[in-house]
This record gives sequence, C-alpha cells and structure tokens, in this order.
Amino acid sequence: MNRRKFIYSVAMAGMSLPLLDSASAEAHLPKAKSVINIFLSGGLSQYDSFNVEVDQSVVGKSKIIKSNVDGVRVSHYFPTLAQQMDKLLVINSMKSNQGAHPAGIYKMLTSYDPRSSVTHPELGAWVSKRLTTEQDSLPNFVSIGKGRAGTAGFFPGQWAALPVKNTSAGIDFVNRNPAVQESKFENRLGILDSLNADFAQDYSTKETRAYVDTYQGALKFMNSKDIDAFELENEDESIVRLYDKQEFSRRCMLAGRLVQRGVRYVKVELGGWDYHDNIYGKLRSNASKLDKGLSALLTHLSEKGLLETTLVVVSTEFGRKPEVNPNKGRDHHPDGFTCLMAGAGVKAGQIYGTTTKDGQSAAENVLDVTDFNATIAWRLGIDPAYEEKSISGRPFKLANQGEARQELFA
Amino acid sequence: MAASASVAIAQPSTISEHARQIDQLVAEQLKQVGQDRRPGIDDYAFCRRVYLDAIGRIPTIDELDGFIADQEPDKRSRLISKLLQDKGYQSHWCNYWADLFRVKYVGDKLHHPGNYAEWIKESLRTNKPYDQMAHELINASGPLYKPGNGATGFYAREPMPLDHLANSVKTFLGLSIECAQCHDHPFDVWTQKDFYKLAAFSSRTHLRVDPTPDLEKDYAKDRRVLKNKSFDEWIVYRESLRVKHAAIHGNGTGFMRLPHDYQYGDGKPFEAVKADVLFGAMPKLDHKLTKAELDTLKHNNFGPPINSRESFADWMVSPDNPLFTKSVVNRLWYQVMGTELVGPLGGLSPDEMGPHPALTEQLIAIMKASRYDLKRFLSVLFNSETYQSKAIALNASAPEYVLDGPIVRRLSAEAIVDSFLSLKTETPDQYVATEFRWDGFTNFYEKSQTMGVQDFVNYSVNGPGRGAFQKREEAEAKRRNGETGPKHLWRVSSYGHVDGSHEVAMLMGKSDRELIDGANEEPNIPQILYLMNGHLEQEITAQPLAFIHQKLEGATTPDERLEIIWKSILVRLPKESERALVSHEQDDLIWALLNSNEFRFAR
Repeated sequence: MNRRKFIYSVAMAGMSLPLLDSASAEAHLPKAKSVINIFLSGGLSQYDSFNVEVDQSVVGKSKIIKSNVDGVRVSHYFPTLAQQMDKLLVINSMKSNQGAHPAGIYKMLTSYDPRSSVTHPELGAWVSKRLTTEQDSLPNFVSIGKGRAGTAGFFPGQWAALPVKNTSAGIDFVNRNPAVQESKFENRLGILDSLNADFAQDYSTKETRAYVDTYQGALKFMNSKDIDAFELENEDESIVRLYDKQEFSRRCMLAGRLVQRGVRYVKVELGGWDYHDNIYGKLRSNASKLDKGLSALLTHLSEKGLLETTLVVVSTEFGRKPEVNPNKGRDHHPDGFTCLMAGAGVKAGQIYGTTTKDGQSAAENVLDVTDFNATIAWRLGIDPAYEEKSISGRPFKLANQGEARQELFA
Repeated sequence: MAASASVAIAQPSTISEHARQIDQLVAEQLKQVGQDRRPGIDDYAFCRRVYLDAIGRIPTIDELDGFIADQEPDKRSRLISKLLQDKGYQSHWCNYWADLFRVKYVGDKLHHPGNYAEWIKESLRTNKPYDQMAHELINASGPLYKPGNGATGFYAREPMPLDHLANSVKTFLGLSIECAQCHDHPFDVWTQKDFYKLAAFSSRTHLRVDPTPDLEKDYAKDRRVLKNKSFDEWIVYRESLRVKHAAIHGNGTGFMRLPHDYQYGDGKPFEAVKADVLFGAMPKLDHKLTKAELDTLKHNNFGPPINSRESFADWMVSPDNPLFTKSVVNRLWYQVMGTELVGPLGGLSPDEMGPHPALTEQLIAIMKASRYDLKRFLSVLFNSETYQSKAIALNASAPEYVLDGPIVRRLSAEAIVDSFLSLKTETPDQYVATEFRWDGFTNFYEKSQTMGVQDFVNYSVNGPGRGAFQKREEAEAKRRNGETGPKHLWRVSSYGHVDGSHEVAMLMGKSDRELIDGANEEPNIPQILYLMNGHLEQEITAQPLAFIHQKLEGATTPDERLEIIWKSILVRLPKESERALVSHEQDDLIWALLNSNEFRFAR
C-alpha cells in the first residue's frame, strides 16, 4: 500500500504539522524516546505501597518487606515488584495543590489547575505535538483504559489521545463490519467518492476537505500494518509469557508493543485506588494488578532493550492520609505522596525525597507535580518552558512553572 | 398547525414585516458592494434547513412528502410556525442553551445537574423570554434539588466565583474579560480592579451542600454517632441530608476585596472595593457599610448581604446594556446562518457593530421589539428571504459580503445523531418529554420536606442502604415519569446524568460543557471509523425494521427505491447524474449517503 503515513495524512486534513525547527533542538540529547505513564487514578496510598520510611503507626496494617536493593523497602502488597526495585526510582516527596479527584487528575496530567475559561492539553498531547514528524506511522499519544482519554486541550483535536478502551476490543471500529465483505466495502467507498466529489463542486470548504482527507487517513489506518501494534495475539510467545491474563497486565503489554513501534507517549490507566473505607480489605486485588503488570512490563522492556530509551512513570493524582480513619480507610492527602520512575537512565534502585516521619507532609527534595511533568518532558528532549498560545491568545508553558529535576538521572 | 400549541407566535404580520426589514437592508448592502442576490432555495432544501435549525434533525421522508405536497403559497411560514411549536424545538435548543450554560456534573460535591437541565427544558417549553432566563440564572438561589429551582445549577456547576463571573460575562455579554481576573487585560481596556468591582455584586455567593450551622445543630449528634458506628450509614445520612439542604447561598454584599498579590498602584492587597459596572448606568445599591468602615475589618469580611446580585442581574439584562442584546443576536445569527454578524461569540467589544452595522442595529431592534421571545426572533429569521437563499461555501471564491444568507458548515454533533433517528423511526420526537422529569435527587428532595432528624436517622440505618439508596430513588423517579420509551429512540437531549452522556454524540464532537462553545465540528479518526464500521450498520444501513427500510418495502420500481433513499437521507430527489447509481444494492447506497459530506453539512 501507499506508505503515506498515518499522522501525515491526518495532518493534511487542514491542520498544520509542526516542523522540527532549530528552536526545538534542545541543549541536550534526549535520553528517552518514549514515555509510558501508568496512571493510578483515585489516589495510591503511599504508606501502603512504596513509602514505608515513616513512623510504624503511619504504615498501618501493611507489613514492610525487603526488596532486591539494600535500603529500599516496600509494603507486602508488592512482592513481585520488590524484586524489581533495582529498576525503579521511588519519589516520596510529591506534592500537589489539589485534593479532589477531578481537579487532582487534571493537575497531574496537564500541570495546570482546572479553569473554566480554558482546557489545557495533557502532557501526552504536548509531547505528540512537539515530536511528531512526517515519518511517524502511528499516533504519538495513545491512552489505554476506561478513564477519560487524553485531551488535546486548546490544541486541535488531532493531538488528542487515540483511545483504546480495552485490549481485547482494541481500537473501536478499526475493522470492517464483519457483515460487510471487502469488495462490498470497496463498492461503498466508490459511491461515497462520487457523492463527495459532486458535493465539492458546489460546496468545497476547508471543513469538507478535512473530512475527505480524514476518511483517507482512517482507511489507511484500517489497512495499515501498524494496526498490528494493537493486536496482542501477534506478540512473541516469550513476551506473552511474562504477563498474566489480567486486563491491566495486557494493557502494559500493549504499551510495551507501542513504544517498540516508536509511539512517544502511552498512558495506561489503572483506577480504583480511592479507599476511604476498609482499605486493607480492598487494596490487595488492585495492588496485585499493579505488582504483576508493572513487573512484567519492566522485564518486557529490558528484554527488548527498550528500557534504556523508555521512561516508565507510575503516577497518581495525590496520596492518602497518614491516619487510618474510623472506617479503616484513608482520606485524600496531596502533600507528600509517591510516584515511581524507571528507565531512560533514571537513578534506579534509589529513593528520592522524603516525607516527615509522621507522614503529614513532603520534607526533603519536594517535587511539585509540575516539576514532575517538566522532568518527563526534559528527558524527552523537550523544553518544559516551551510555550503555545490558546485560542484566545493566552500563552501557556508546557509544564506551567515546573522545572526539570535533572538530578533524578544518572 | 399544531392546535395544542401552548404559546402562540405573536402577530404574524409583524413577523413578516420584520423579516422584510432584514431582506431590505441586505438588498441595499448587496447593491452597494455590487454583489448579486443569491438565488432562493427550493422546497426540499428549505425543508431540510428549517427542520435542522428549528428542531435539530432532518425531516422524515413522510414529513418531507407532506410539505412538498402542500400547495398553499404560505406553506413555508406555516411550517416554520409548526416546527417552533413542536416538541423537537425543546430538544434541539436545549442542546444549544445547555452547552452555553454548561450544564454538567461537577466535582465531588454537586452530584448531578438534572434539575438544571430540566430548568432549561421547562424554559423552552414555556418559551420564557431570554432576558428572563438570564435574570433567573444570575439571580438564582435556594435549594438545588427543589423541582423547578434548577437555575441554581448555574452557580453550583462552578466552584470558583471569579471564574463564574468571567464566564457569566462571556455567556451573556459575549465579552472576554477573564485575563483581567489575574492582571490588567494586555490588549483591552479592562483592569483587574474593574474585574473585582464587577465581582463585588455577587460576592459571597456560594454552594453549600451541608445544612447551615443553625440547622446542623439538630443533626450533629446523630452524625457523630453514625460516623463511629458504620461508614455506610454515616454516608447515607450525610448524602440524604445534602439532597435536602444543598443550596446556593448569598445574594451579594456589594463589596469585594483585592487579591493578596494585587500589584497595581491604585489599590492594596485585601483592600475593599465597591461594586461597579463595566459600562452603562450603575444600579443603586443599599450598602450598610462604607468602604472605609469595611477596610478596618478583617480581610475575610465582605460586609453583610445587600442583594446586590439582583441589581447585577438587572444591569446585565437591561435593554440599555450595549452588549446583552447584541450578544444574543450575534449568537442566534451565528447559529442559524453560520456567520459572525458582529464578531466572535465570546470576543465582542461594546462599540463593535460588525461588517453591516445597520443590519446589526435592526436585529437588535427586532429582538427588543419581540421582548426577547426566542421563538418569535427565530421565526423572523426563518421567514426572511435572506435565510431562504442558497448557502455558499466560505472559500477563496467567496464574495466579500456574506451576511446575505447561510454558509455551508458541519451540523452539530446532536443534529447528526438525531438525524439518524429520522431514518430509524417515523416518530423521532416521540419520547421528548412534555413535562418535568423527576430524578432521584428531586424525588428525594420532595420526600425530605416532611422528614425530621429522626426520619433521616431511620432512613440511614433501616433504609435501602448505601449501595441502594441512590438507585432506589432513581427507580422511584423513573416510575413517576411513566413511559419514557427505549433509549435507542431518544433524542440526544434526553440523555442525562442517570443515563450517561451520549457516546456517539461525543464522538461527533458534542461539547463536554467544560467551556463555553466547547463543541467541535472537526473530523477525527475514531469518529470516521465509527461512521464507516460502527453500529449504524445494524441500526439503519442493514436493519430491516428501520423506518427507511419499511418505506423501501413499498417501492415498486428501482427508481422509486432510489428516490426513497435520497429523500430519506439527503432530503432531496436524486440528480440525473445520480440515477445511474440505481444498480447498487440499497444498503450500499444508504451507507454511502450516511457517510457523505452532504449528509453532515448544512447547505
């Protein structure tokens, strides 16, 4: 087939493609080519997972276990990851200014407080817009999971995430309706072309042409070999074996497949962490998903030689309170929570930042969520202060006021 | 004519006079710029256009045939009147106003916007004048879930008061002052102080979901007991009390305080500022304190409530406000014609009159003479020759003056999805509500009026429980609403908080109501994949029970078949050049027409 590339053809649909001009040549060579962001919506309890360097009372009923790195300990809910801590940097000093879910998620993903006068692009949209070239054959921002797909904010819609709701269904409607044979489909397209050509004689606008071009883009996408990237059945048996059958693990495998094909930013959603009650009854099953899926992903990327160039981050909108409430749950706590990083030269096998021993607040090396995002962008070779204007002409920086924390990398 | 119409379209003679005034001004302008008048459209094009603009979907083939068969000379104006009285009007324009007023579920506190959407629907059913709608929204207060008090959603959906003000000004005045929220406007006249003076009118307006302290005294003890006894019971107690007590409080103190980081020489951080308007006459306020007195008090003291919010509403909707009428006229013109009469919907300035000031002037006068009766104003537009002329494409060959008729543009997401209904069923508007629809919240609110403290405790301890509490109320509400029909035959506007947002409409670019004018008409890959490979195949294209296929069953010749398909989907007869397509299978033709630009673009 004609290998005019997918994104290119979408970009031709009346929208401009950024040319990587000299201004984008950053001062350092990018160490990461891709990012996988495992987003734990609901608010991971840091004190029942990866921050156990606090008073025993704060850790509650979680038991502390050793990892494969001296001096790095985790909770017993993560026995598999405990054997992968040499690949992970634990950041225990995360801080957000948002304590409610929608606002917290928005802040974490966009670096901005939600405002009702503008919608900000998610980091994935910035990355995609900044790094997409004519050579790319797949969209550079893919969002896997049921959560809100990544918004392009004030950017044109082409920079929004391609949503994959679950791995078994893949991309919605990317295959011909089973009732329609290929020749029948071709016949339909032929009629459609003649109708559109006729309509264009009288009524051709930028918008009608955008539709014709996007149909071309969609058809190329349907016929493209790259669709294979979304088909987990085609993965090597040696890789499939690394994962269990749970949906989250399969999402991780898909993310690994996509970065192998060069996709720049993949968001993988794992929700359900909002345990206001009975946390010790409910945490186990979700923790186990993360424990196994992330472990397998790290092995997958290592075996494929991709961990060198892929920055894996595990993030969440905020953490949970150091106290267990009367209902045996933990409430929201944005001051001192935990995120993880792996790959792309991050200082693995270490802990960065602390909370106070009573778990009430971030203490040393506090990392604001905007700094966290700035660091990701910087590692991809993108200036975190890169600026774009909204529709009304207001300038916005990629990571807001965030600054890259370069010391997180060796 | 719909005999059951509750609101008559006033004085048809004046409507046609007003329509002629528009045409006259357009004709004069065309003469002046040396442009020909566009040709008029035929009955098919008119029928499609006015169905889409008045009730938000294409006509069914039966509706089209009925109109074409009508031989009376006044059939177009009769169709306009009929459609504006149709319940499809409420469905279509509800989408429009609910987007502008950003009706949506918000955050952790406000659990649903149902009553807000119902308020809009009720306003449209009774044809409430637009200035009254705006006034009710700005001046809304009291219980959130009280049936009929849904205007409170206007405040409840926006947790931040300064954002709310910026959005109110953009909604009703088409003015963009949000920059001045944080600093003096970089390329406009508005200063941050102007913004705070305006914010003073509605200061201290807020949503409170829990009982006020005086009422909480009665509930506090049981709240404590339940919290220590059972999480689930405590939650039911808290949430059920909230349904009763959630309300918009505060009617404005007429004072605001400058922000902690105020950086300009004309004021100090936390200094009190007195309410003042951006332009026009300042309404009289009944301040109980002077600014000097308030400056001696604590920073969090904004003075006592003096009902300044109502004065703000008065100023906003006054016919003398240079932007209120102009903005809505600009909006409706854009919605119906596709062009900017004055300027960008959210970026007007007070003196701006657009490319054809006389026309703007006239339309403002017509809106005022119509006393902000939206149906009447739309009726004027629809009855004009200007509206009933050929649509042009705005491209390189477009003429200079484009206010002489509609332009080609994509239909709204809802209009596309609702037009599918015209192919599925012969009665696409059957399930549009004609009266207030209950939901779990309004249902429980009503019950809660006779519930005392002990009743709430009983409800929490012995009631349906945390898991079932909301579901049971929703189920009860559903029973009260009676037969609402199967969801796949609902108009998009009938989807609400209980049923989730409409996925296909979202795919087509429906506004998520985060921002004003948040809908988009752009294509994207997932949308096209849906149109090519999605459920339309089972619902319409190859669905023998779909209305279009039932009509096709009655066809006796291939040509007749072709006509039925063309009339049903494109609302016109096949052209001579298209007659050759008759050899294709009918599902292939239906597929191609549904995927065509002609189907999804207004023309």
